[in-house]
Amino acid sequence: MNSSNMNIGDGNHHALDASPISTNNELGLSGAGDGRTAGQPLSDFLQQLEDYIPTIPDAVTAFHLQSAGFETSDPRIIRLVSLAAQKFVSDVANDALQHCKTRGASQISKTSKGKDRRYTLTMEDLTPALAEYGITVKKPHYFV
Amino acid sequence: MDGLSSNLRRRPLQVAVAGLLFEVGFDNAEKMAHETLIEMTQSIICQVGLSARSYCELSGRTEPVIGDVIIALVNMGLPLDSIETHAKRSGRTVLPAPVPSTQPKQLSILQAGVKQSHPSHIPIHLPQFPDPHAYIRTPTHKQPVTEYEAIREKSASQKRDTERALTRFVAKTSDTHSLFLTEDTIFPLVACKPHMPPYLKALLPSDQVFEFEDEFSIPSCPTRGGPGPSRKARSDAEGEDDENLEELKENTEEGKGGETDSIDNPYLRPVKQPRKKKPKT
Repeated sequence: MNSSNMNIGDGNHHALDASPISTNNELGLSGAGDGRTAGQPLSDFLQQLEDYIPTIPDAVTAFHLQSAGFETSDPRIIRLVSLAAQKFVSDVANDALQHCKTRGASQISKTSKGKDRRYTLTMEDLTPALAEYGITVKKPHYFV
Repeated sequence: MDGLSSNLRRRPLQVAVAGLLFEVGFDNAEKMAHETLIEMTQSIICQVGLSARSYCELSGRTEPVIGDVIIALVNMGLPLDSIETHAKRSGRTVLPAPVPSTQPKQLSILQAGVKQSHPSHIPIHLPQFPDPHAYIRTPTHKQPVTEYEAIREKSASQKRDTERALTRFVAKTSDTHSLFLTEDTIFPLVACKPHMPPYLKALLPSDQVFEFEDEFSIPSCPTRGGPGPSRKARSDAEGEDDENLEELKENTEEGKGGETDSIDNPYLRPVKQPRKKKPKT
C-alpha cells in the first residue's frame, strides 16, 4: 500500500496533487535557468556526503529503493535520497509545530510553565500542514 | 519504546521519524500522526526510487546517477537547494545501530565419535546424522528365566517368604501366645481364638468361607422380604452350597443395586425364595 505510485488520485490516504508540482516545476525550470547548475551544488554536496550520516539509516533507505528497482553501488546517492525525504518530513513537522504554537498561544497557558512547552503532534495540526503541500489526509475517527 | 511495529523493516523508519519530530521540537506525537508521517516517508523514498530508475532507463543506463535523482526530486516537487541546509543543521540525531537480539549459536558442542555419513539418497546440504551414541539401545526388560529348576526354586522360596511374612504380620497385629514364662518376641506365636462351643465348626461344614458377606449388613430392600439373611443362614444349614453361592451373590448384588429394580434384569430381580418346609430337627 505504500510503495504503490503516489500519482494523482491515488486515494484518500495521501495524494500529491498536481498543483504544487507545477509550481515547483517552474521553480525547477527557473533554477535550470542557471542552466545545468541546478544540480551542480547538489553534486558538489554529494562529495561531502561521504562522512555524513542522515537520520534515516542507509540500510532502510536502500531497502525501500531496492523495492522500487533503484539499485546503486554508490552510498552517497542513497544518503541524498534519505536526506530529501527527511527534509520533507521535517518541513511538514515544522509547519505543524507552527500550527500547534498558534493554537497554544491563543489558549490560556497559566497552568503550564512558559508557553506550553510540551508540544504534541496531533492530527489536527498535521492535516492543515499537509494540506499546504497538497496532501489531503482524511482519517476516520473510528473504525467500523 | 512501546508501539514499535512487529515488522522489523519498519522499526528504524519509526525511530527515525520520531527522531526527526523530536528535533523539530515536538515532545509527543499522536500515534496516527506518527504513522502518517512514516507512511509518507516510505512513499517518498519509493517514489523517488521509481522515478529515478525510470529516468535512468530512459537515458539508456542501468545504474542511476545523481542527475536522475535530481530530476526525480524536481518532478516530485521537492526543493533541491534546501537539502543542503537541512543536512548541515545543528542538532541532528544519529540513530544507533540496533543491537542483535539473538545470541550467536554456540558451536562448541563436543563431538563424541564419528558421525555416520549420509546414504546416497539423502542430499548433502541436509544436516548430518547425530553422534553414534544416539543409536545406543538398552532393553528395558530382561528375558525371563525359563529354566525349570530356577523357576521351581523361585516359586518355592516365594511361597515360603509369603507365608513367613503373613504369619509375622498377624502375630504383630493380633494377640500372641507365649509358650515360655517370659514374653517371646523373637518367635511369636499367633494366639488361638477358640470358638464357643469348639465342636460347632466341625459339625457344620461349609464348602467356602463367606465371612465378609455374613458380617456385611445388607440394607433391607423394600422389594425383598425381611427373612433374607435368615434364609441364608438356613440354607447354609442345609448345606446346599451351589444355591448358597447364587443366592448370596444375588443378595449382594441386590443390596448394592436395589434401586435398579425398574430394569427388568432377571439377575437383579428380588430373590424368590422357594417354598420350603422347615426341616424338622
